[in-house]
Amino acid sequence: MSKTLKIDSTIRCDVLIVGAGGAGLRCAAEILERRPGCRIIALTKVPHPQKSHTSTAQGGLAAVDPKDPSDKNLFHMFDTWKGSDCTADQNVIKKISEASWEQIVWLENRGMHFSRDHEGRLLKRTFGGHTIRFGESPAYRAVFEADRTGKGINDTCWGETIKRGICFMNQTIATELLFNGNRCVGSIVFKQKEGSFVRILSRATVFATGGIGQVFKVTTNCRQNTGDGLAVALRAGFPIMDPEAIQFHPTGIVGPGILASETLRSVGGILRNRHMEGFMERYAPKMKDLAPRDMVARAIETEIREGRGILNPDHRIEHVWIDLRHLPHSVHEEQIPEVRGFFQKYMNIDPKTQLCPVRPSQHYHMGGIPTNEFGEVQTAFQETVPGFFAIGECASASFHGFNRLGSNSILELITMGKYAGERVLNYMEDADTDLPDEPAEATFSQFSRYVENRGRENIGKIREEMKSLMTENVGVFRNEEKIVRAIEGLADLKKRAGNIPLSSESLIMNQELVERWELDNLLDLSMVIAHASLNRRESRGAHFREDFPERKDAFNHHTLASMTEFGKVNLGKRSVNQCIFEAKEKFYEKFGIIERRY
Amino acid sequence: MEENYDLTLIIHRYDPDTKRSWKQTYHLNAGRILRFVDLFRKINEEEDPGLAWNSSCEHGQCGSCSVKINGKPLLACELLVENAVEYFGTTTFEIEPLNVAPVIRDLVTDIEKAYKRVDKVKPYIIQSAPLSEKGEAYSITPDEMAPYINATRCINCFCCASACISSHRGFLGPNAMLASIVRLMDPREMEKIERLRVLYSDQGVCRCHSSHACSFVCPKEIDVAHFIALAKEGRFGSKSQKK
Ligand SMILES: Cc1cc2nc3c(=O)[nH]c(=O)nc-3n(C[C@H](O)[C@H](O)[C@H](O)COP(=O)(O)OP(=O)(O)OC[C@H]3O[C@@H](n4cnc5c(N)ncnc54)[C@H](O)[C@@H]3O)c2cc1C
Ligand code: SF4
Ligand code: SF4
Ligand code: FES
Repeated sequence: MSKTLKIDSTIRCDVLIVGAGGAGLRCAAEILERRPGCRIIALTKVPHPQKSHTSTAQGGLAAVDPKDPSDKNLFHMFDTWKGSDCTADQNVIKKISEASWEQIVWLENRGMHFSRDHEGRLLKRTFGGHTIRFGESPAYRAVFEADRTGKGINDTCWGETIKRGICFMNQTIATELLFNGNRCVGSIVFKQKEGSFVRILSRATVFATGGIGQVFKVTTNCRQNTGDGLAVALRAGFPIMDPEAIQFHPTGIVGPGILASETLRSVGGILRNRHMEGFMERYAPKMKDLAPRDMVARAIETEIREGRGILNPDHRIEHVWIDLRHLPHSVHEEQIPEVRGFFQKYMNIDPKTQLCPVRPSQHYHMGGIPTNEFGEVQTAFQETVPGFFAIGECASASFHGFNRLGSNSILELITMGKYAGERVLNYMEDADTDLPDEPAEATFSQFSRYVENRGRENIGKIREEMKSLMTENVGVFRNEEKIVRAIEGLADLKKRAGNIPLSSESLIMNQELVERWELDNLLDLSMVIAHASLNRRESRGAHFREDFPERKDAFNHHTLASMTEFGKVNLGKRSVNQCIFEAKEKFYEKFGIIERRY
Repeated sequence: MEENYDLTLIIHRYDPDTKRSWKQTYHLNAGRILRFVDLFRKINEEEDPGLAWNSSCEHGQCGSCSVKINGKPLLACELLVENAVEYFGTTTFEIEPLNVAPVIRDLVTDIEKAYKRVDKVKPYIIQSAPLSEKGEAYSITPDEMAPYINATRCINCFCCASACISSHRGFLGPNAMLASIVRLMDPREMEKIERLRVLYSDQGVCRCHSSHACSFVCPKEIDVAHFIALAKEGRFGSKSQKK
């Protein structure tokens, strides 16, 4: 016997923000600063906004200081364009880069604890791919707060929102969007702690739900990054842009997937296979271990695939070693203390005397819900959807194209958060809360199915199989045969997921029920990723096809992938905005279709 | 060094529907470098999908996974099996939810309620100091930041609050006081009076017995008690405290 699910209450507000990480919080702060008293409800899946994943971003945030005589916004725009492998949108690049410094000051003035130089000014560091004068030399462009820059952003924006009055609903998931005609009028949400379904009617709805890392076996992303926002948008009939554009960091610490930064290789760390061979010599005779991220990731995966990896018995993950034993004591102590600490803490390994296990780790999703440069969501036909906005990692405007540069993501959160906030206020001028056309049947049929399903399957096991399937077939290396295998495998897993019984029908803090819903999100998203990867018969940025290793001009466009029925994916295109190139101003030729070579 | 361990986990459970509490014993065999969050996941996959527990980042950066293990509050994502066996000298572990707020189910505490104490101290700049030039960042030197920068590393995991012996109901607790002390030392904050009023109220520093339990358990190794001691003495100046 199962319970009849029902809406327990309806709440009205001005703005519903789904997700309170850096993007969602910055957006909320902008709205509240401009319109005090605006009624905002912000949801998180986690117990508190401070636990959102933005808090873990370590490195830094790119911004061109107008007082820096050597750096220019144009250089930042060029680096971003080149890094994207000519698939970022230039109107977005321009908008974000030009607002960057102002946003740093915004954060600093509101209390973020940036690292400083001895004169009290903000310190800056370099990041891969960031250069001055179009690749001439490295740019010192990333401001940071020690090794916890994301935490600084998240804490500061959270502080501003509670200062000005916001309503958070934590451990609450948005399960379905509501529409009146083509206008988004809110969402159905499930409050996990109370076990109740609530209908939130809002004048504007902003999605800021973050990444999708849990699609893969090894990821730097948190447990809640199951791509919910994308799956909910897909079910409402919206496309996902560039779902196949997924970044892998070459060196994730085996097991937890924690980021072992590039520094390990720049200070002299050597990657080795099971025969202790320093294999990068074979792949990049000149650059060796210092070759670009995607190249190193592919080399490691090749070693593993060809049987030269090592199996970690505890986590059941194959890996290679990074050898740091030959580095002087001072390098260990002064240059890599944090990462050394991670190996010590999570693997009980001392990099001074022991080999460290690493494997490419899913790190970032460049794709997402398609938006314009104001964060307004677009349909498959590129019409904006009134009342529906998306920002942060779950959105694709697109600032990163097919490859994101380090330190550009958290910059995107705070700039797009602000722009979307402004836009939301404009939009609300003549929008009121409205009743949706249809009741929340989709959510209820989904959830009652979960409760009623019977069989012998287990959520965790199916999830693990899916992650392995995606990692092996739609990960760092892709080819037609493998992707087709993944598509078939996913269809089978989706079927088997119908035989998962829940151990309890309770709705209160039923982790299993939510994980069951997340599993559907992951499976749906994986299917879309696989189809888009299959269709893009070229290699571009982080998307690498062994059977089509070159970039092709015929694919100089974004993918728009929709799926309303599982497995039936519709693929469309969106052209890449090249407004900087077309404006024909000085250096415009740098913004043409250029080679991504370093 | 053993490769695998046979472990006994005694987990405190609570069912909100029936309001029943009980202890449940799980036996599992686990590799030496699995973390306790991996053990919980293993239980979900192999034995009991219904066990509820919290985590997010799973690398010690967010403070979502705090539990008490054999009485000690800690982050379950940071504790490796072999370290736990060595530290506690046993392969049997009793695991309880953190006692800083009501339990929702099993190991999941209502942390949002515990956060009310942090909200009370206003963890933001209440009134900003004047800027030398609009549109510019404040100038603060590393020396000026040194006294409080360590306190900004707090992730509000509430381990310290859980260990604090001064469990008086109204007490702000160590981490909330820490958040206030940061802004008392931050030269960008003008509103010191209101902060001091809260800190020196009967909910504040006077409830602290200087037991140092907070510093002892803090997974971020913040010397929380040191900051509270400074607050007791009213030493919030940005110079002369630490070099
Ligand atoms: C280890 C690590 C290091 C990084 N370092 C850097 C760096 O140095 N520089 C850089 O630029 N970028 C970095 N990144 C990338 C960057 O941190 C992320 O892209 C960014 O923080 C994402 O922010 P967000 O606001 O979009 O999402 P998040 O911070 O992930 O927030 C998402 C929010 O949505 C909520 N949510 C999700 N689904 C739902 C749902 N269904 N219902 C309700 N709420 C929901 C979540 O609970 C959360 O509150 C790093 C990433 C990782 C993993
Ligand atoms: S030193 Fe004070 S705040 Fe810290 S645990 Fe002891 S009583 Fe609590
Ligand atoms: S002071 Fe330490 S123990 Fe206390 S909440 Fe902060 S990080 Fe946790
Ligand atoms: S899960 Fe984030 S600290 Fe443990």
